[in-house]
Amino acid sequence: MEYKVEAHRIMSISLGKIYNSRVQRGGIKLHKNLLVSLVLRSARQVYLRDYYGGICLSAQQAREWCEGEYMDSEQDKLVPGSTESLPESDGQSEVAVDKQEPGNVVESHAALDVESEASGEQDHAENGVLDLGCSELKTPEESLEASPTCEVSNVVTTISSNCISGPPPSNPKQAAETPNGCQTDDGESVEENLHEPIVPHTCTNRKRSAEDSELTDSLPKKTKVMSSTLISKNDEKKVDTEEMDTSNVSSLITIFGSSFSGLLSSEDGAQPDSEAEDSDSGQICCDQMLKNLNPWSTAIVAF
Amino acid sequence: MGEDTESSKVNHSFLRDYVTEADVISTVEFNHTGDLLATGDKGGRVVVFQRETVPKGELEQVGETGESGEYNVYSTFQSHEPDFDYLKSLEIEEKINKIRWLPQQNAAHFLLSTNDKTIKLWKVSERDKQPEGYNLKDEEGRVKDISTVTSLQVPVLRPTDLMVEVRPRRVFSNGHTYHVNSISVNSDGETYLSADDLRINMWHLGITDRSFNIVDIKPANMEELTEVITAAEFHPHHCHLFVYSSSKGSLRLCDMRASALCDKHTKLFEEPEDPGSRSFFSEIVSSVSDVKFSHNGRYLLTRDYLTAKVWDLHMEKGPVETYQVHDYLRTKLCSLYENDCIFDKFECVWNSSDSVIMTGAYNSFFRMFDRETGRGVTLEAWRETSKPRAVLRTRRIYTGGKRRRGDVGVDSLDFTKKILHMAWHPEENIIAIASTNNLYIFQDRSLNACAHTHTH
Repeated sequence: MEYKVEAHRIMSISLGKIYNSRVQRGGIKLHKNLLVSLVLRSARQVYLRDYYGGICLSAQQAREWCEGEYMDSEQDKLVPGSTESLPESDGQSEVAVDKQEPGNVVESHAALDVESEASGEQDHAENGVLDLGCSELKTPEESLEASPTCEVSNVVTTISSNCISGPPPSNPKQAAETPNGCQTDDGESVEENLHEPIVPHTCTNRKRSAEDSELTDSLPKKTKVMSSTLISKNDEKKVDTEEMDTSNVSSLITIFGSSFSGLLSSEDGAQPDSEAEDSDSGQICCDQMLKNLNPWSTAIVAF
Repeated sequence: MGEDTESSKVNHSFLRDYVTEADVISTVEFNHTGDLLATGDKGGRVVVFQRETVPKGELEQVGETGESGEYNVYSTFQSHEPDFDYLKSLEIEEKINKIRWLPQQNAAHFLLSTNDKTIKLWKVSERDKQPEGYNLKDEEGRVKDISTVTSLQVPVLRPTDLMVEVRPRRVFSNGHTYHVNSISVNSDGETYLSADDLRINMWHLGITDRSFNIVDIKPANMEELTEVITAAEFHPHHCHLFVYSSSKGSLRLCDMRASALCDKHTKLFEEPEDPGSRSFFSEIVSSVSDVKFSHNGRYLLTRDYLTAKVWDLHMEKGPVETYQVHDYLRTKLCSLYENDCIFDKFECVWNSSDSVIMTGAYNSFFRMFDRETGRGVTLEAWRETSKPRAVLRTRRIYTGGKRRRGDVGVDSLDFTKKILHMAWHPEENIIAIASTNNLYIFQDRSLNACAHTHTH
């Protein structure tokens, strides 16, 4: 458990370093950023490993069942629909792997989901998402999976679309590569949920986690750290997790450039104000980045 | 620490401790005879010190042989200025990353200095005579009115005060896309290499518009990047051999006779990772920050974050000696990661006989290891304790067991006072240690170690 908290903290710090490297004098230092990305990867692996330990088998079974149905709902991304189902998942956000922060995040996430539909409070939603993405990678997944598959997928779609403040990614890969960490999570969640089998309301958090993992697993290699965290939850999708390991720091650099502080917010929810601001710019940035399939290589080539 | 009883010292301490970023020394290098010592700082300036020669008469009185003087400022010049890459919208720091002296061939001295992108060759020469008595120009150099010239004279050279002139002779620019971390002059005296994160170029000292790329580890897809070049050096005797270190902790010895592009190493020096000590920061800690050939060319000295290792060129599977520099930091890697100290790049040096190696640490400490006995000693470069002619005391870090007076606890180490850059005289036991903006020069005079300092 301590490893999980430690891993999470290290991931936050690493992302902060990557972000700060953009504004450092002398340009991005390739060596330091490479090392930071390696630490990020190690922390993520530990985080995922720990999370896997807490998943119960039933969750995995339920996930498998839901898998087929998610495929159908993949097309429903733009349907705002059933965010109501989200709040239900709040209470169940506690995963087998104990995480108090996820619980909080989930709740805020659920709330955000509802709001995101209105798209009038994207900032708020983003905050929640950012929090989720940063502090508790599992959280967005969990909350998303809490609702029934269809609803979840819808909600996820909504969230992702809201977060992205634009058309949802046309494919999981894009979602995965969303620059904004939280948004990516949402996008991934959407994608993953779409692929996940429909989960009954009674799905436990663990199930959601499993689904999250699956979602994460299906993400392309460029998935952000957040995604990988989600993936880790899914034992079954471990193979996909390995794909996540190749996430690129450089993409993170470009992605997180605009609104990183939101991602770094800890569970205590400190600095919501700053996050809101950053979320705005981050969201806009995310929109732009969504189109960018290869931010890492682009940034590095230019560099 | 030394006595600090004067209250005035306490009052002024904050002024004394205030260091402008530009004054931080970023490189130190002796020339091949040890008479000159060059330092580069973050503000792009180079300061050259010269050892004062003690007249023979005095030497005999003191009972010492050879030069025994102190190092005084010889010349100061601005080597690099802040620059801007308009194409990439990147600021180029003027910080001097490395200085390397060329072997002396005539009365002038030449040195190479580099920042992140550009390498410059500087000529440092003395002038102690000045021509006087021009016919067409007066003393100030203004052209004379022809009508006032009534007779002709032959200009003569008159001795004047010693002037040290520094002129840039070559500028080697646009050779590197990434940040230059090392330069090394070849033993052939004509070429040198410059290494950045992904490439190593070989230049001819006389040609500035062309360089050969001899190592390129840039992957076709940058997303697959796993390691970068951290340091490179030519072999001291074999002009076809050079070594470069990577961020993964491996060393590659390359022979330029094998092929034009030395991507394929001739020898790969790598130590298998100890699985027991794996942590989040294993990769960072294993990244080699400096590599140096021994003077005899048979060994390599490398420094990673926690250790210094000596490698035998004939044995690739692991180092022959490993020295723990500050192993007590192994449990503190997480906080060192947070405050960025884990990315500090420490240098390491050999003594003239390759029997002692030296490297820096935190809290103004530096470590020397005797290779024959395997023992290490911790010394401190701190103004308060380094009065001229003071004997360097060994320090100890308290890590458990019986605590002695003067031991420093690990938690009370000052991580802002780091000794990253140092140099050892090529022939004598004189060391130059750079600590932030201070330069300490310690000389081993038979039994005593005396110190004098220079501050920017």
